[in-house]
Amino acid sequence: MNYQILGNNYQRKDGIGKVTGSETYTSDVILPRMWHARVLRSPYAHARIISIDQTAAKALGAVVLTYADVPHLKYNERIVSIPPHLFRDRTVLADKARHVGEAVAAVAAPTEQLAEKALRALKIEWEILPHYTDPADAQSENAEPIHDAVLLNGEMKPIENNVAVARTVNVGNVDEGFEHADFIFEREYLTSRIYHAQMETKSCVCDPASDGSITVYPTTQSIHNTRQLLGEIFNIPLHKVNVKRVAIGGTFGSSIQMNSIIPICVALALKAKHPVKLVSTREEDMYDHVRYQTKLKLKIGVTRDGKITAGHIQALADVGGHNIQAYALLSVLAGWSASLYKFPHLRFEGKAVYTNKTPSCAMQGFGNPQATFAMESLTDEIAHELELDPIEFKLKNYVGLGGTFWGQGPSVQSIIRSDGVPQLLHDGAQKIGWRARPKAGTQTGRYRHGIGMARGFHTSGAGAPKPGEVIDYSGAFIKINEDGTVDVVHAMMDHGGGTLEAIAKIVAEELGVPIENVGISPADTLTTVYDVVTHATRGVYAGGGAAHKAALKVKQQIFEYASRVLELQADSLVIEPDYELRQGVIYCPNFPERRITLGALAKQLQINSWGTMAAVESLRQVNCPPAFVTYFIDLTVDTETGHVTTNRAVIGSDCGTVVNPAMAIGQLEGGLSKGVGYALVEDNQWDAQTGQLTSKGFWIDGKTPAISEAPFNENIITHFSDTYEPSGPFGAKGIGEAATNPCAAAYANALYNALGIRFTELPITAEKILRALNAEENREARVEMREMEAMAVMQAAE
Amino acid sequence: MTPKLVKLNVNGRAHHTALAPNTTLLHALRDLGYTDVKSGCEKGDCGACGVIVNGAVVNSCLLLAWLADNQEIITVAGLGAAAKPHPLQQAFVDFGAAQCGFCTPGMIMSAKALLDEYPHPTDEQMREALSGNLCRCTGYTRIFEAVQNAAHEITSD
Ligand code: FES
Ligand code: FES
Repeated sequence: MNYQILGNNYQRKDGIGKVTGSETYTSDVILPRMWHARVLRSPYAHARIISIDQTAAKALGAVVLTYADVPHLKYNERIVSIPPHLFRDRTVLADKARHVGEAVAAVAAPTEQLAEKALRALKIEWEILPHYTDPADAQSENAEPIHDAVLLNGEMKPIENNVAVARTVNVGNVDEGFEHADFIFEREYLTSRIYHAQMETKSCVCDPASDGSITVYPTTQSIHNTRQLLGEIFNIPLHKVNVKRVAIGGTFGSSIQMNSIIPICVALALKAKHPVKLVSTREEDMYDHVRYQTKLKLKIGVTRDGKITAGHIQALADVGGHNIQAYALLSVLAGWSASLYKFPHLRFEGKAVYTNKTPSCAMQGFGNPQATFAMESLTDEIAHELELDPIEFKLKNYVGLGGTFWGQGPSVQSIIRSDGVPQLLHDGAQKIGWRARPKAGTQTGRYRHGIGMARGFHTSGAGAPKPGEVIDYSGAFIKINEDGTVDVVHAMMDHGGGTLEAIAKIVAEELGVPIENVGISPADTLTTVYDVVTHATRGVYAGGGAAHKAALKVKQQIFEYASRVLELQADSLVIEPDYELRQGVIYCPNFPERRITLGALAKQLQINSWGTMAAVESLRQVNCPPAFVTYFIDLTVDTETGHVTTNRAVIGSDCGTVVNPAMAIGQLEGGLSKGVGYALVEDNQWDAQTGQLTSKGFWIDGKTPAISEAPFNENIITHFSDTYEPSGPFGAKGIGEAATNPCAAAYANALYNALGIRFTELPITAEKILRALNAEENREARVEMREMEAMAVMQAAE
Repeated sequence: MTPKLVKLNVNGRAHHTALAPNTTLLHALRDLGYTDVKSGCEKGDCGACGVIVNGAVVNSCLLLAWLADNQEIITVAGLGAAAKPHPLQQAFVDFGAAQCGFCTPGMIMSAKALLDEYPHPTDEQMREALSGNLCRCTGYTRIFEAVQNAAHEITSD
């Protein structure tokens, strides 16, 4: 396919603002008469509030809010799931603390110093309750309930044994499937509760007006969902709630939901009758969200010749103190696990349990890094046991082109219509030197070298043919200005990965105008049509799809009006960018001399009072195609220190048509960095005694990788498949989250190749590697000893 | 906590401002409108707040503003603007080194201090100079390339 604009690299439209510091993030918003807010957070993991004495704080001139002063409506902050699956368990301020750091009161005052003073002046009396940091303890018979009941579709649903939600999926008959197996493999995999560690802490500014309307500048991935929830909680009609898009300093899933500080900020602003700014401290932010920790128990049956006969997946997820999207998580855990393999019989049993810890939420890949770590580790192990090449085993059981892809779970299935996996595996294997890899466990000596691979994917969006359990559609408004430039008005957020840049390119390509002539308008909820949220790798595929649909409409208008001016049939016209004129030019290839620039046409329309060329469209994509990624990792382990060095990483991506090559590579490299962190170092530990983070809010204790840990540039090789997704705009699908999903498994498999040891718990730290090596040595020593003893006995007998 | 009148010379402009002794340079600068200086942690963990004080890069969240009295402070906005960006800023755009951009101001200041001292830095010097600046988006590869190329650009002029 030949494109004018897609596939080329251009300077980011927002780049210069970011490097010169003029880009505005929420914390940079400064309004006249603005007050500052601080939040009182629980030091206890589980405690009821007996009383809060506000006298001293109020005497300082602060406004104070507690549970008694805010709406009591229970909400769920992520209104992406449809109402029957939306578990609502929180209020603007909590009536009891369910985790350390839970917000129970808030103050606002004219200055930050005064707000801080007022916060310290609040006197609070607690009744401390038993708390649980381990899901197993939380489920025990006599455990104190963390929530008595939650609101589900308008009714209170009692919670038993602190189980937030459970789900079972059955396909075929697993027992029968296991009967046909020659071998059955069973393993348990545990992943860590890492912190998103986005650079900007969650923040909000709310500006209330005298007519009861509010303007909100939040950190969010969805301005429209934030608006709707605020309208519902505070009972304000939506036309009086305007949520503005401001730049966001990274999210990685942490702001899919309307952040809990947003309604607190709004409540304070409404009470203070002043604009109020609320910026979370890093410690507060670390108590606000983590990735779901999961324990996955996999059981897979295979025949001697390597055909999977059945699978049984048991999942236990740690929800933390509030259920943000555990129901959806269980669905995707089933989906992600089952997607890449043909399971004739499958059973999934999932359970998500409340604990008194930071609420878990989606983090880049939403359950996929967890599931892929388990599946890609176990399938590697099975291949080795069957003495098959893991690539061969994986392809033998692969769903493949035309197959039904489970993707996000039973209700979000799609058909694979573009598949770069075989090509990526082939190319990746060649680039890494797959065939020359060592034989597992044969090396001795201090430094041992290993190569491992894993496959992964993420679906582009969650819009399947069936309506499903989650909302998924986007809208776009496009208009041609009187000089031939184009405004794209789109509610989608760009987290920095270039989503809006890609949308601009898609529009420029379709309209045949130079990319410089396409502007992305500032956006707010008053002037844009609904977009669900930038998540689930749907930006380009779904958001770009909506813009493409609107662009096609506008293009029709362009040709109709141009046909009047040029006196040629509309159907005979084309439009192309002319880089000298810096305009799109409309002409008929048969009469190329009859031409008009888009600018001249638009101006003519205005002079003739014919109107504006513009269109607004909504689009629901219906295929959510998987964007595939393959990882090959070549590493060296220092067996004296346990230190792992990445020698080479070969990352292959099938994102359909590559819209932004440089940004796509950037996404893959970023995915590797986060993936390595997840695989080897990052952890967030809780003190079981106190329920507090052992890092005490110090970011580096969570071990977010720094440049010193990053693999060297020349050692990262990225490559793309030649695929075209028929359902995507110009054949494009997603990339973002897929980039990180298989990373941990690829490292675990490479470590096995180097050491002959399987690691089933993340992160695989240097300490764990040393411990495993010691255990292995001891085991070998014991075996040797036993052999020697046996020998001695035999010799004695002779 | 009696405030004291402090003179902060920021990007070539003098500001006389009364500050309490516990005000950090980060807060003082942001309150003066230098919101190009970012706050990521206020604990010295992330480097987002990096500015150059008398030629050396510091985490402004760890420096009390009183200690910057009469000193020369440069923030990222002082390096260049849209019309005339500094070669480092241009390279960050050209090489896609800024994704969300929140780490970028601090990252560029660390890189600036590095290139001022070592116009031809080795890979090791670069890694060391940037090791106090966290970036969650890029995986650092593009940043590395941008700094290398800016170094080349600056010294070839
Ligand atoms: S804000 Fe200063 S180091 Fe993070
Ligand atoms: S670009 Fe987002 S943190 Fe560096």
